Amino acid sequence: MPYVIGIDIGGTFTDAFVADGGGRVAGVKTPSTPPDFARGFLAVLDELSVELGIDTGALLADTHYIVHGTTSTLNALVTGDVARVGFLTTRGHADSIAIMNLEGRYAGLGADRVQDMVRTDKPRPLVPPQLVREIDERIDHKGSVVVELDEEGTRRAVRELVAAGAEAIAVSLLWSFRNPAHEQRVGEIVAEEAPGRYVALSSDVSPRIREYARSATTIMNTQVGPRLRDYLRPLEAELRDLGFGGSLLVMQGSGGCVDSADAPSRAITTIGSVLTGGVVGCTRLADELGHRNVISTDMGGTTFLAGLVVDGEAVSTTSTVLGQYQLNVPMVDVHTIGAGGGAIAWVDAGGNLHVGPRSAGARPGPACYGEGGTEPTVTDVDLLLGIVNPDNFLGGRKQLSVDLAAEAVRTRVAEPLGLSLDEACAAVYAIQNAQTADLVRKVVVTSGQDPRDFVLYAFGGAGPMHCASYAADLEISEVVVPLGPTAAVFSAYGLAASDIVLTAELSAPTNFPPDPADFNAAFGQLRAELDQRLADQQLRFADVDYRSEADLRYTMQLAEVATAVPSGDLDEAGLAGVGAAFGHRYEQLYGKGSGFAEAGLQLITYRTQAVGVLPIRPRLTPVGAAEGGARPVSRRRVFLDARRGWQDAAIHDYRDLAEGHEIAGPAVVEAPTTTVALPEGCTGRVDRLGNLVIRYTQAREDS
Amino acid sequence: MPVIPVAGSEKFANLPVGAEETRRAVGDSLRLHDVASSVVEGLDPLTYEVVRHRLTSITEEMGEALKRMSGSVVVTDCNDFDAAIMDEVGDVVQVGLYNTELAASLDMAANWTLRNRCARPGIAPGDMFLCNDPWVGGGLHQNDTSLFAPLFVDGELFCWTGAVAHQVDLGGVSPGSWSVGATDVFWESLPTPPIKIVEGGEIRTDVEDVWLRRSRVPKLVALDLRAKIGANNVAHERLTALCAKYGADVVKAVMRRTMDDAEQRLRAKLREIPDGSWSSVAHQDSARSGDRGIYRIVLTLTKTDDRLVFDFTGTDPQVDGLINCTFAGLRGGIMPVLLTMVCGDIPWACGGIYRCVEIISEPGTINNCTFPAGIGKASVASGWATTNVATECLAGMLDTHPEHRKRLMSVCCGTWDFALLAGVDQRGGGFVTMLCDSMAGGLGARSDSDGVDTGGLACIPMGRVADVEMNEFAFPMLYLWRREEPDSGGPGRHRGGVGASSCFIPHDSPLGGVHLVVSAPGKALPLAGGLAGGLPAGTQYDVLVRDTDVHARFAAGRIPASLDELAGTTDLVPTHHETDLGPADVYFTHWQGGGGYGDPLRRDPAAVADDVAAHKVSPGGASEVYGVVLDDRGAVDDGATTARRDALRRSRAGLDTEEVPA
Amino acid sequence: MTVHIDENLVQDDGGGVSCRHCGAAVGVARQPLRDARVRESDPRTAGPSVRADAGHFADRPVVLRQTFCPGCLTLLQSEIVPGDEPSGRTRAVAVVDR
Repeated sequence: MPYVIGIDIGGTFTDAFVADGGGRVAGVKTPSTPPDFARGFLAVLDELSVELGIDTGALLADTHYIVHGTTSTLNALVTGDVARVGFLTTRGHADSIAIMNLEGRYAGLGADRVQDMVRTDKPRPLVPPQLVREIDERIDHKGSVVVELDEEGTRRAVRELVAAGAEAIAVSLLWSFRNPAHEQRVGEIVAEEAPGRYVALSSDVSPRIREYARSATTIMNTQVGPRLRDYLRPLEAELRDLGFGGSLLVMQGSGGCVDSADAPSRAITTIGSVLTGGVVGCTRLADELGHRNVISTDMGGTTFLAGLVVDGEAVSTTSTVLGQYQLNVPMVDVHTIGAGGGAIAWVDAGGNLHVGPRSAGARPGPACYGEGGTEPTVTDVDLLLGIVNPDNFLGGRKQLSVDLAAEAVRTRVAEPLGLSLDEACAAVYAIQNAQTADLVRKVVVTSGQDPRDFVLYAFGGAGPMHCASYAADLEISEVVVPLGPTAAVFSAYGLAASDIVLTAELSAPTNFPPDPADFNAAFGQLRAELDQRLADQQLRFADVDYRSEADLRYTMQLAEVATAVPSGDLDEAGLAGVGAAFGHRYEQLYGKGSGFAEAGLQLITYRTQAVGVLPIRPRLTPVGAAEGGARPVSRRRVFLDARRGWQDAAIHDYRDLAEGHEIAGPAVVEAPTTTVALPEGCTGRVDRLGNLVIRYTQAREDS
Repeated sequence: MPVIPVAGSEKFANLPVGAEETRRAVGDSLRLHDVASSVVEGLDPLTYEVVRHRLTSITEEMGEALKRMSGSVVVTDCNDFDAAIMDEVGDVVQVGLYNTELAASLDMAANWTLRNRCARPGIAPGDMFLCNDPWVGGGLHQNDTSLFAPLFVDGELFCWTGAVAHQVDLGGVSPGSWSVGATDVFWESLPTPPIKIVEGGEIRTDVEDVWLRRSRVPKLVALDLRAKIGANNVAHERLTALCAKYGADVVKAVMRRTMDDAEQRLRAKLREIPDGSWSSVAHQDSARSGDRGIYRIVLTLTKTDDRLVFDFTGTDPQVDGLINCTFAGLRGGIMPVLLTMVCGDIPWACGGIYRCVEIISEPGTINNCTFPAGIGKASVASGWATTNVATECLAGMLDTHPEHRKRLMSVCCGTWDFALLAGVDQRGGGFVTMLCDSMAGGLGARSDSDGVDTGGLACIPMGRVADVEMNEFAFPMLYLWRREEPDSGGPGRHRGGVGASSCFIPHDSPLGGVHLVVSAPGKALPLAGGLAGGLPAGTQYDVLVRDTDVHARFAAGRIPASLDELAGTTDLVPTHHETDLGPADVYFTHWQGGGGYGDPLRRDPAAVADDVAAHKVSPGGASEVYGVVLDDRGAVDDGATTARRDALRRSRAGLDTEEVPA
Repeated sequence: MTVHIDENLVQDDGGGVSCRHCGAAVGVARQPLRDARVRESDPRTAGPSVRADAGHFADRPVVLRQTFCPGCLTLLQSEIVPGDEPSGRTRAVAVVDR
């Protein structure tokens, strides 16, 4: 039986999921092993073998491919454990990465920090000044050479950078995406002067207009490329030694994977590697359940992530911000919208109650953890409201202290506001849910959608405790809490079920419509590049799918809108159709009548994505059908709704449930990985895959 | 011709008016929603926080909508716009984190509209009013165009929303509407008092045509009009839903309490600070092209208990030129620093914040001018200078408190370096654009750390500059460089953030060259003052080198890295100037950094060495100003540094007859 | 109550203002820099950041005016202003008798 495996290595846990072609699946969870994450990788394979009842060698011998989600790239950038990079750029423009379009002072910060402007700062320089060199050369906006490349000066600069300790070289010249000749020649010179050193050219890594983000992307890629290479090569060799004959694939932020041999040259695409697994898992589950539009909400102990699936596809973005730097990295659009269960409830100087954005983090964590935290968090409140069972948190792995939680809420919220403990908890719970609704709404609306057209998926340890409430506020009628056998390793499942996704793009800014011949030639060039890279993956694909888009904008606008382009060569009418599609999408995003076509259109970037569909698609296995009704294991008083106060609620053990069971709120379902709160007015039903599907049986208002 | 008073203009000389008086003026012509104070007092913390958060997110959504829909690079790339929610009389409940000086007088414009338009033509659901008359409010100069919309709930005017953005050109003698030769407002863009441009949800095409007809870029202005309509529509849809869910009274009560809360917290903060008064002065050189005067704004800030009085007595009279500002401009000058330095941790509900503030200013002065004084560049002239003087006074006040002094900054980027390009672009179309590179000014030094290098402007928490490539794609220009300028940050124990420079030539225009309008003061004297002994940031410095050999240098494979490398005729560009750039003319523009904090001789020598390595300070600057001597490898020479500092300390105070050689 | 006016100056209960670095008396509450040493010089001595001579742009004289602690010569105030107008930079922190 051929196997496919997904392995997701996060900062804390390493999850693995395996499926064979015959519908058998298994998942395991082990601790991560920083800084040597490879050790955890091999350990989780052993666990997986035990689960399947075969030895690791036998498992690996029959494994077609392993899809690996790794935090190593992101971790390297966050901790600064990166290669020492020398940077070559056009004379006169080295400061671009220091000026950061000035937005580097606040990019990626929450509104509360932006408002506190005096305390904002730019991050440390990407490259120290002694590792930056400018070279004489210049290409203009048309791609014409204005100043020839100074080859001697380039050689000198490379030698100086190497002498200054550069382990790797990043090259980003102005307008290189229009004419890469100078960059390519610089690449050759680097190879001659510093053979064997990792070198990245911006025209390869990110051939997109706007030099600041292109340079930052190229530099960060160069910082992590050698590290990723040094991580993957020995890992793959070790797998080979153990008998692995398949492909090791690495998950990218785009939600698709790439062969491990190809990954280091475009290492920056893997920074979202572990963030996206959840959304990819949602995409696959949505496919199984027949949901086209899904809001994915992942509320863990320290973060709250939100993403979207529209028409069966994860919504992506072409850029991201990391450490306040702007990066050109195609990514599944995962928004960090909050601090998860660790969000701190506090009272400001004016006597107003707030929840977040500050977080208690993993250390000390919520007060109820008993690890020194004294500030009340959302998790403390969930405990005090009876939603969380102190003896069954994380499947009983962590014992929680009700007293410490109560002390924190009493001293920091209830007493300063003159509220009872219950009132204080109810207020925090309601504020958290309403705020979540605001923030989720912003994510949905900003992408031009209406939340009411979506099903909401809630996972992560804390998500299901709140989802029924924030979904109601968003007027969403159906909520899915994934609780099947894969729930604990949902991201790893997403990895195993992913495809190869390669993206090629090229900026060639021009007024729209351009000459159809130029337009078709640009996409032809991207297609040829992708075909070559697909062949390089050394995999057999069940199918290959190409999707093209063009970033269009109204003349002079900041925001380009990615507009789908039909396959095949287009004539003038076809181009007019693309222009019309842009107008339509624009109005969808920004409102009817907002477009003003008379201002003229411009095409900025061409982009094509190739999806190589892998031959094995893991299927989730149905759980058994219910015999008889769901029977609660106990009852306790819970507070799920401010308008109803404390109520007697049925407590169910998820392991007792089967397909078809229905539970009416007020009730709580305790699962090994999470707790689901079902307020009065909604009903949870177990579907054929073991998920709990929540629907509202009566119209309800925001609690 | 000197400015002479214009009879009939008094109607537009707007000053803030209280809610009571507004209600009286409106009378029976319109029902204004109100809420009993008992509802405000009865709000529970839960409802308050939930609705308040939603109001904040609506303001953000408005800003996003405006920004995405706008066609002006000054809006989309530079965030030179803002959005606000106001109550039924115009008091601002929530302002966006964009250009705060723009939003500082939206209340005045909405309130004036209430008092002057309620009877005829009337204010009805679906109406929106456009205004670019800074005497009325809603902006600092005519380019700042606001669009504000009354929201009706159950037949009552419930609240206002407003969006305001800089329009690139609205007519006047010079492209960009900054008529550098202006002696009065008649040279400039026509100020338009509030006019109903959207009626019953539809654009009035007759009014729109009148509005667009004045502009050199009517398509762009039309797009921005739609962007503002869109922003208001987004807010109205959301606010209507909010009122439906919680009830209009509750939403209004939250608005009231948001303003009360901001007021109470600001008062509480002020009470913690010692009483006192702080005086300062801000200068501007040149009021119009050809003028060689220096003008001043004087401020005495008096803090008594929980109140601030901004007294501008002593400020110069208004001048013949384009640098004056109206009372709206004066408020627009104060509000940005009040928000960023004093209210960094307080909700930006200006309606509440203004209650702690009293302004004393004589009409007819340079930052409270009367019609028809020229105000074409008010936002970055007297408005900005007002910000500078308010920064110094507020910073001095904050410095007396051990906690609050962490949120003071010296003056940020002393002025706006205005450079406008116009002509025919590489695709054969006409264009007008303000070069926004100078958004990347240096921020002022803090009491405990350096100012942020190329960190922005005081008035725009989220400023932004376009990439060189985007400018070269959009406009017929080619940059020789854009870089941070060493020494441009004000020296001090904590250094002001450095400013930067851009240097470019016209490139690829079918005309060969481009038209250039320059208006940038701070050339005769620096405008970003320092604090606690810290020095001002550098001067503004613009140079035009005519008929250079730049193309020969390009052909020889070299990009000039400094003006010294170029042959040609070098002209120092005066503060106000309008000219054409030829194909071989090189334009260099160098904008300002932020002021320093503390005595530069007390700066950690190692920090100076780092600054030299990072090109933030030149070796000469390190020696002359900081008294730090570096060895061949760039490390501090401790002995020589101590000796040099000892000598400088005496010589700079005039104690030794001989100057210390650098 | 003692008040730190800024990082260089402290005001005592009686309204006396002195240098925080050397203790020298500098002034009193209404005139905190009354006894400080003032020197005017060419603005270009402020450093290389004053790029051009003021005379290119304006007719009035422009000076660098600096104020120093009479004891340790710490720089207390710097301004570059028209030389024909008195300094507009003053402050007066109220004396609080507590």
